[in-house]
Amino acid sequence: MSEQKKVTRREFVRDFAVITGGAAVGAGLSKEALAEVQVVKEIAKCGMVVHDPDLCRGCKICEVACSAYHDGACSSYLSRIHVAANDLDLVFSGLVCSQCDSPSCYFACPKKDQALCIDKETGARYINQDECGGCGKCAAACPLPEAPIWFKTVKGKEVAFKCDLCRGRAAGPICVELCPRKALRFEERRG
Amino acid sequence: MANMNGWAGKILRVDLTNGRVRTEDTARYVPKYIGGKGIATRIAWEELKPGVKAYDPENPLMFMTGPFAGTLAPTSGRGIVCAVSPRAYPLEWFTYSGTGGLWAPELKYAGFDGVVIKGNSEKPVYLWIHDGKAEIRDAEKLWGLGAFSTQTRIKAEQGDQTQVLCIGPAGENRVVYATIQHRLSNASGNAGFGAVMGAKKLKAIAIRGTGGVKVADPDEFISACTEVADLIKAGPTWAVIGTPPGPDTVSCTHACPVQCCTMMRKDDPTKLEVGSGTRNMMKHCVDPMYSWGWERTEYPTKYIKEQYTGDIFTRPTKAFGEEIGSELQVIGEGLGMSGWNYVNNYCWISACVDNGITELNGHKLEPDNPEFWRDLLYKIAYRKGIGDILADSLVRACERLDLPDILKKHAHWQEPMWGFASHRLGRAAESQPSPIWIYTMCHWITDSRDPLQSHHQSSWAEYWFPPHHGAGSPDTEFSKVKATFARAFGTGEVIEPGFGHIKEKTRAAAYLGNRANLKDSLLVCDWCFPRLLSGFMSKEELKAARDYYGDLDAETKMFVPLTGLNMSTADLVKAGERVRNLDRALHVRNYNRNREMDSTAEWIFEYPEKSDGSKLDSAMFNKIVDNFYEARGWDKKTGWPTRAKLEALDLGDVADELASIGRLA
Repeated sequence: MSEQKKVTRREFVRDFAVITGGAAVGAGLSKEALAEVQVVKEIAKCGMVVHDPDLCRGCKICEVACSAYHDGACSSYLSRIHVAANDLDLVFSGLVCSQCDSPSCYFACPKKDQALCIDKETGARYINQDECGGCGKCAAACPLPEAPIWFKTVKGKEVAFKCDLCRGRAAGPICVELCPRKALRFEERRG
Repeated sequence: MANMNGWAGKILRVDLTNGRVRTEDTARYVPKYIGGKGIATRIAWEELKPGVKAYDPENPLMFMTGPFAGTLAPTSGRGIVCAVSPRAYPLEWFTYSGTGGLWAPELKYAGFDGVVIKGNSEKPVYLWIHDGKAEIRDAEKLWGLGAFSTQTRIKAEQGDQTQVLCIGPAGENRVVYATIQHRLSNASGNAGFGAVMGAKKLKAIAIRGTGGVKVADPDEFISACTEVADLIKAGPTWAVIGTPPGPDTVSCTHACPVQCCTMMRKDDPTKLEVGSGTRNMMKHCVDPMYSWGWERTEYPTKYIKEQYTGDIFTRPTKAFGEEIGSELQVIGEGLGMSGWNYVNNYCWISACVDNGITELNGHKLEPDNPEFWRDLLYKIAYRKGIGDILADSLVRACERLDLPDILKKHAHWQEPMWGFASHRLGRAAESQPSPIWIYTMCHWITDSRDPLQSHHQSSWAEYWFPPHHGAGSPDTEFSKVKATFARAFGTGEVIEPGFGHIKEKTRAAAYLGNRANLKDSLLVCDWCFPRLLSGFMSKEELKAARDYYGDLDAETKMFVPLTGLNMSTADLVKAGERVRNLDRALHVRNYNRNREMDSTAEWIFEYPEKSDGSKLDSAMFNKIVDNFYEARGWDKKTGWPTRAKLEALDLGDVADELASIGRLA
């Protein structure tokens, strides 16, 4: 039963990699990560923002909305969702955290529950910048081909940042709300 | 990140002659001049000496953004290029040309509100701007490449998310309508600034930035941007009833939430895959003219044939169908050349054939043959044979060719004022029932180029009129149009058909002109702002509306929480008026612009307007000019700004300088 469960989780992660990254994860989860799956049962599952490259038209409203909301500055590079716009072929691929059931980033964090935390209400896996030391272990542990975790300097200190599903925002993720093409949706996961 | 909200805080200064790069503080120019065209015009006033021509090293080529660029403000990808234009006729003079795309946001993220480039390089170079730094790099290997290949090469070198502005062979060879290309179909087109880059040996500007635009009050700004996005959801102001963004279209600019017909299409990848590897293009207006033709260029129409006894005829351009049309368009874009040249050249070459001229300098004229155009586009871009002459625009070509007078007059009909292509002046290209063409005429005769790239708001009121030739809506009620204008201007007479109420109409024209200058300084999309006329998503919604008023405070609602500056709409419009007057002062000082010069195109308006046959006699033309100058605060006799007006706009120093050369009223 346990084996069955692991496979399911691996596929789960891989499927989201396909949606968000455009390519499947080559390798499976490490032994260490698999062991951590056992702990996952205790972690609340969480919805995620899903980007649809067929509907996206690269306007980047999601990025500037995200950064305005979180950082009080509009910027593609402070945004927790990235749309890589290939201007000449008009291919738009989105990159945003999958909020994995088994959050490798959370397990990898040396200050688990202080820096990388699980939101009690929404289940969002989020980074508390006050505690984050910018060690990068979360990004390194991310199973996605390209980690949707980025780094910036805040008050002279390197910190990681990622999608937190706009925790605390009554209307949910702002990128989903403001996307004019409905290329972003919030997908619930329960159980 | 600099300590400004809205603005990046620095302007990059580059001298290609000596390779020096420096920065200056944006705070020197804002909020007085807002950004974009405003800052560029102030820099030109301070630094552009009379007599500087387009290809001189002293010509400052300026790429400007505004406070909105790169933010959540809808359509905030707009940028503007300003310089002395090689196309302007009879004098090469200072003008402007906007673009969409993603370069303006990227420049802000890189820490700059604008780039001012002076000097001419000896060798081909490109400018690499990244996070507060700029380097002049060798572009020997890029010189000669088309606009698409250039972007691809630079992206391969500097990263895929680098934004590139570049020229193709037409710019290198100084075709006076050479474009600066960006992405697939974005371009700074008609002013020929691609040729200025060519003269500077500047092949491209590549930009990458990882900063952001600070927002003073994020919650309020997000809420204002959401409100404005909802306000413009019907799209451009001609869209009486809009449509939601379709699945097959890509907006031309950053943060654009609406559907409009300048979008690029992304439907069948094979159908449009031609030439340089692009498969998408702008769908409307200039670019697909090869595919679809331009029917409305026909002049005169059946509506007024009976009363028309004139000498000049234009005609619909030839439609070559999607396959050939797409190919010709992509060739033009790759070469880096404005699509308008097809309309002008087609009509004029057809007129040549009609008048018995079947070849020019041994080059056979076959305007209805796509092969002729495929060949001619290259000849123009590389200045070979007849292409060398046509590359200088029609009015200049006619000075070099031995042709009957009627064809010289026809060239001026195609390029009626300042060397720019006919564009919504109510005559050669498109219908504009009175009084709308009175508005557009005021802009045309006093501006430095075809001004309708910034004044679509004025001309598009025609789409809200009752149906007439070419435009108008069967679903609108004219009483509500009048009520809308009454809300904005205090009287609905400003939109009353005919030649009454000239005073009120010219005042409205001046106000819309101020809004256009504000728009080009902030910057936002000309098609969607200012939102005098709203837009609806259904006939029911339209019918239920009390009037069609949108919201003239929309820009202010976003500007205040973005910048944290407590400015009212009146303050912002005053800034727009300041920019307009500074531009006028620059043209008075540098080019001796005056009433006589403004009046040179009077003959154009003596031809009957296509939809209602209205035309001007000299008395009415002068009455309109008198009233417009009065509305502008300019002297009626000379067309110069008055000291009173300039001082009211905090331009006392400008007044002093004009007075010192005896050109202040």
